[in-house]
Parts: sequence; C-alpha cells; structure tokens
Amino acid sequence: MQHVANLTGERSGAAKAAVEVRGLSHVYAGRDGAVPALENIELKVPAGRFIVIVGPSGCGKTSLLMMLAGLRAPSAGTILCDGRPISQPDPTRVGVVFQEASLYPWLTAVENVEFPLVLKHAPRAERRERAGAMLNLVGLDGFGSRYPHELSGGMKQRVSIARGLVQDPPVLLMDEPFAALDEQTRMTMGHELLSIWSQTSKTVVFITHSLTEAVYLADEVVVMSARPGRILDRITVDLPRPRTYQMMATDVFGALRERIWLQIRTTP
Amino acid sequence: MTGMTRPSPRTVRRLIGVLILVLWEAIPRLGILPELFIPPLTKTLHVLWLDRAIYAAALLVTVYEVAIAMLIACGAGILIGSIVGGVAGVRRLMLPVFSSLYAVPIVILYPVFTAWFGIGSESKIVFAGVYGFFPVMLSTAAGIRTIDEQYLLAARSMGASLPQLITRVVIPASIPTVLSGLRLGGALTIIGVVVSEMLTSANGIGYLVTKNRTTLDSPRVFAAIIVILALSVVYDIAVRAIERRTLVWQAAGRRDAGERGAVLSAQAAA
Amino acid sequence: MRGTTLVIVRMALLAAVLLLWEALPRFGFVNPMLLPPLSDVLAALAHILVRADVHQALGVTAAEVVVAFAIAVPLGAALGILSAENAYFGDIFKPMLFYVFSIPKSIFLPMFILVFGIGFPQKVAYATFSTLFIVIMSASTAVESVKAEHLLVARSYGATQIQILRRVYLPSMLPILLEALRISMIFNFTGVMIAEMYASRLGIGRLIADWGESFEMTKLLAGVILLAAAAMLFNEAVRSLEARCSTWRT
Repeated sequence: MQHVANLTGERSGAAKAAVEVRGLSHVYAGRDGAVPALENIELKVPAGRFIVIVGPSGCGKTSLLMMLAGLRAPSAGTILCDGRPISQPDPTRVGVVFQEASLYPWLTAVENVEFPLVLKHAPRAERRERAGAMLNLVGLDGFGSRYPHELSGGMKQRVSIARGLVQDPPVLLMDEPFAALDEQTRMTMGHELLSIWSQTSKTVVFITHSLTEAVYLADEVVVMSARPGRILDRITVDLPRPRTYQMMATDVFGALRERIWLQIRTTP
Repeated sequence: MTGMTRPSPRTVRRLIGVLILVLWEAIPRLGILPELFIPPLTKTLHVLWLDRAIYAAALLVTVYEVAIAMLIACGAGILIGSIVGGVAGVRRLMLPVFSSLYAVPIVILYPVFTAWFGIGSESKIVFAGVYGFFPVMLSTAAGIRTIDEQYLLAARSMGASLPQLITRVVIPASIPTVLSGLRLGGALTIIGVVVSEMLTSANGIGYLVTKNRTTLDSPRVFAAIIVILALSVVYDIAVRAIERRTLVWQAAGRRDAGERGAVLSAQAAA
Repeated sequence: MRGTTLVIVRMALLAAVLLLWEALPRFGFVNPMLLPPLSDVLAALAHILVRADVHQALGVTAAEVVVAFAIAVPLGAALGILSAENAYFGDIFKPMLFYVFSIPKSIFLPMFILVFGIGFPQKVAYATFSTLFIVIMSASTAVESVKAEHLLVARSYGATQIQILRRVYLPSMLPILLEALRISMIFNFTGVMIAEMYASRLGIGRLIADWGESFEMTKLLAGVILLAAAAMLFNEAVRSLEARCSTWRT
C-alpha cells in the first residue's frame, strides 16, 4: 500500500492513537434465525489518518461504527483503540457524530457541547471554556446561547461535531453526518471538516454513501461489500492536501471514483 | 379603489365575543326570548355579586375537589401512561385494552360511586379522578413514544450512566408530554367534578346550578354557569402560561400540532 | 410477545379480575352490600334483560342516541368541511373550538331544560350539542389530511370534481371518517347518559341512576355492565372496519 506524503507523523502535538480491528465478525438474531452482518473484518488505522468507509446499504458499516464506539459488542473479534480494547463508550478516546445531529432541544448550543463534560461532573468554568473553544473551532463563535430549533441543519451538525470533540478524543467516528444536508451545505461542511481535522490531527473514521465525498475527504477509502459485510478493498487517495474543489474535476479524482464504484457494483 | 383587507381572525373572534355579550343583554330585555330562558347579563352579574359569599364558598368546595382529583388523574395517568407507553411489552398487552375501555361513558359509574362514597366530596373526587385518568394515560403513553431514540444513543455514546440517562435525557424530553397531560387532566377533572356536582350533590358550584334550576331561578343558574366558565378559562390560561415559560425552547409549530393531537387523542366529553 | 400469547395473557388477566369480583365479596373482604359478588350481578343481568320496562328504557335511549347522531353528524361535517376549505372561516373558528373542548358542556343542560322541558327533545338537543363540536373538528381534520399533492396530481390529469371526490377524497378520508364517527359516538352516548341521569323520566341512564339511589346494587352493576358492553362492542366493530379500510395507511 502506497503511503501518501500527507504529514501523518509530522503534525505537532499529534495524539498517536491507532484504531485496530481484529477478526471482527457479527451475527445477530433475526426473525428467521441467525443473520451474519459482518464477516472477518481486519482493519488497522494509523494515527492521524482520515479513513472513509463506503458500501451499499445494509452492508453493516453503521454496525461496525457502533462497535468502534463501544455501543455494541461484536459476536467475535476485538477492537482496540490506542492499544487498549473498547468494550463500552469512552468519549475520552472515541468521539461520535451521528447522522441526526441529536442535539437536545432543551439545551442551548453551548450546553449541548458541554453535555459530555456535565456527565463527567467537570467544574462549570472549565466546561464553559472548553465548550466555547470547540464552538469557536467549528465556526459558531457567538451562537452558543441559541437553541437548536434556531439553527440550520449545517449549524446543528457543527454543534454535534464540537460536542464530539469536546473531550479531545484522539479518534472521531462520523456516521454519514452530512447525509441530511443539501448538496451545497454538504460540500461546505466537508471542506470545513478537513480544515478542523488539519488543525487537530485526530484520527477520523467517516462513513458515507457518497463516493464523491469519500474521495474528497479520505486518505484511504475502505470499500465494503453487501451483507454480510466484508472489506473488499482499500484504496489510497493520492491527492495532495489541502484538498480543493477543483480537484473534483480532475481525471485522477474521476478514476478513483470509478474504481470504487466498480468494486461495489460488481461484487455480490 | 384598493380592496378592503379583511379583519384578522382574532379581531373577528373578539367581535363575536362582544356580540354574544350584547345579545345576552338585549335578547331578554327586548322580550325576544323570555327571561326564564336567558336572563339579561346585567341581572345575572348583579345576582352573582349579591350572593358572592355563597358562590365563593361553593367555588372553594369545587376547587378543592378538582385539586385532589387532578392529583389522582394526572399522577396515576402520567405514571401509568409512561409505563404503558414506554415498556414495549406492557404497551402491546394493555394499550388496546385501555383504548377499548375508553369507549365506555364513565358517567355511568357515577351512581356506583355515590352508593359507595355518599354524596359528599369523596364520590366527586373519585369520579373525576377516574374520568380524567384514561385520557391522560392514553395521551402520555402516546407522547412517551415520541422521545427520540437517538437522544438516548447519543447520550450513551458520551458515556452516560443509567441514572444520568433518566435524569438528563428522558425526563427533560418528557416535559412537553407531561405538561400536555396536565393541561388535559385539569380540564377533564373540572368537567368531571362539575358533572357529578350537578347530578347528585349537596355542595359545590354544580350543585348550585341544579338547585337554582329546580326553583326556576334563572339568573342564579346562569351566575353559576359564569363562575364555572371562568374557572375553566382561568385554568387554561394558567397552564398555557406555564407551558410557554417552560417550553421556551420548543419550536412554535410543534406546539400547535401537539394541541390538536392532545384534543383528538383524548377528548373531553360533556 | 406473539399474538396468541397476548390474547392468552389478556384472557388470564380478565379471568383474574372476574375471580376477584366473585371471591372478595363472598369471603367478606369487601362489603357485599356495596359490591355484590359477580354471580349475583350476572343473575340480575339476566333478570333485567327480560323486563319490559328495561326494554322500553333501552329503546328510548337507543332512539335518543340515533337521532342525536343523525343530526350532529351531517351538521358538524358541513361546518367542519367549511372550516377546512375556507381558510378564513377556519382561522376564526378553530381556536374557539379548542376552548369549547375544555369547558364542561353539561353546564348548559339547565338551558336545554328551560327551553325544551324534560323529555325526548331536550335529551336529543343536548346530546347533539355535545357531539357537534367533535364532529366539526374531526371533519375539518379529515379534509385537511387529504394530501395536497394527491389532489394536484388528480387535477393535472384532468379529473373532474366528482372523480376527485370519489377517487382521492373518499379513499383518503374513509379511515379517518370512521375513526371520527367512532369517537363522536363516544361523546354522543356520554351526552345522552348525562342528560338522562340529570333530568329525565325515561331511558336506561335514568334507570341505573334510580337503582343507585335505592341502593339496588346488583341491578345497578348489571346495568353498568350492559351499557359498557354495548359501548365497547360498537367501538370495536367500527375499529375493525377502520382497520379494513386502512391497509394502505402507514
């Protein structure tokens, strides 16, 4: 596998956490017996990389993410983060951003962001400061006292991202976070996400349906098959960083997309 | 000439209200309808003022009964509604049963309650409590299910413990449902108490309605009606004010939809 | 829990309740004067079902229910449809409707008595009054529930007004209309009962109120069971009809 010259080890203050999945399989009890959902997933994500997982609907990518987050236990296999196993949610190691922003409507934006810290009984001043810094990072400085119903879809997702980052986890999991947004907002958000990522050097595991989004964002695209989900291929994205919109029009971009698409389409 | 803009609906409603008051005064005075049917508004208010002590005492009894009955109806209704709505097994087992029971006019139980508890406040409280219970329970059960599962998932991903899930997610998320249940329960218990006071009673505003009707004292009957209307309206305004204050974070659209849902899913009879 | 298990559990619960009703008074845990054992109540039920005066009372009540319904439904539907079709009219009246639901309509019974005296017309008038508002609201909701897009598609295909009525409005509204009818009947029945119990010489409501006053608990409870059963039967019948027409609904 070629390694792209994208500054993985050269960022200052990088949190060197890797995500490792070994021999993971999952079977769940369906109405007519056992249903294999995931089959023998092996994955090693070096620290600081931006990995995107794509695959057809129902291939189990969301289930995989749930397990990476510690929200669900796999039938077999282990998941390691920073060398230690993940068996339950740990927002200090793994932050999660869902497709539905899931902001609590009775809390303001800043209160939503500091919610994980409230759960940990952190002192108020510290919470506020940290939450404020995160809102700043996602470009929502000054919007802290707004309620979710006053925010647009894109803004809500930004708050959600800020919330995922507030405990400074080395790993950030994102389950189709921009799927509910319109195309233009999606593109803007993707661009901003990359900017935030480059400032914080997290390891990101990102799920999407959109092949364009995948190629645009990723260092490496992991292609999954239909159920039972297996890893079909891992495609390195050789494009230089920082990524620009113009790159989407290049032949390289198109070729990468085509390659991913062929994989998904032809594999049963 | 530019088209005349129509008056706003609110203005029209106010005008209709004023019209009703005017007619209330004019129709009997002009002899269009006998005073027996509708005494003039001013006469009714005058009589209400004269007997204010009597009406106040009766109102106190009624309010007392409503308060206790509300505790029963809303307390049990919200509690059991949460369980029936929240626990899938219980819901599938009991919800259809409760929905069927809802079809029975509770008022037919009132003679049973008077036989058991007498004609004092106890029977009214029990009756109104039961009367308010079903709709509140059904409405809470329906409302509990609207709590987004995503909220719980997000909280779990942030490492929330079970007590934290309950206190920081479930309870705040349930507040709109609970408030809606309170508004409904209060209106229904007022109705239940008034109906039972009118039927068999020795006390309370409803009793005054019946007593004065049998003596054909129309002004006093209508005075009692006015007091009851005032009670309902005041309660409604008070709860709405509380709702508005507490639910400052709710988008306006959802409130109106909830309004209709509350009425349709658990209607007040009588 | 699977379907049959549910039914079995419910039957078991019912059996337990009935058993308690029999046992508690019989063994003196509950005063049998206040709550006669179930078997006595069922005996009373058999007894009253053959009495002529009970038949007459049932007939009177049934007539009141039917007539009130027959007046309230068309009238209410017309007003409801008007309020849905004409936005201005609707905006004026909908908030008023909400208020009407929270006031005790029974306080107007004396007015009806003053106007109609005590008798059939008074009870029918009051029951109609009770039912009217829920019919209006249900009809209005039903009309509004017909999705604008469906109408647009029909019109764009050149459907005539009649065709639109038959093929878009009707199937769309049928389950909702049935539900509205079911709920309106609950109000209607309640209204009739209240009117009968309050001031009436005839009707089953009057009968059970009298039995209550003279402490004839077995007959009273028998009457309650009878009426409850009738109400639930009607309810379930309409509900199953609703279900039959609702297969397309999400």
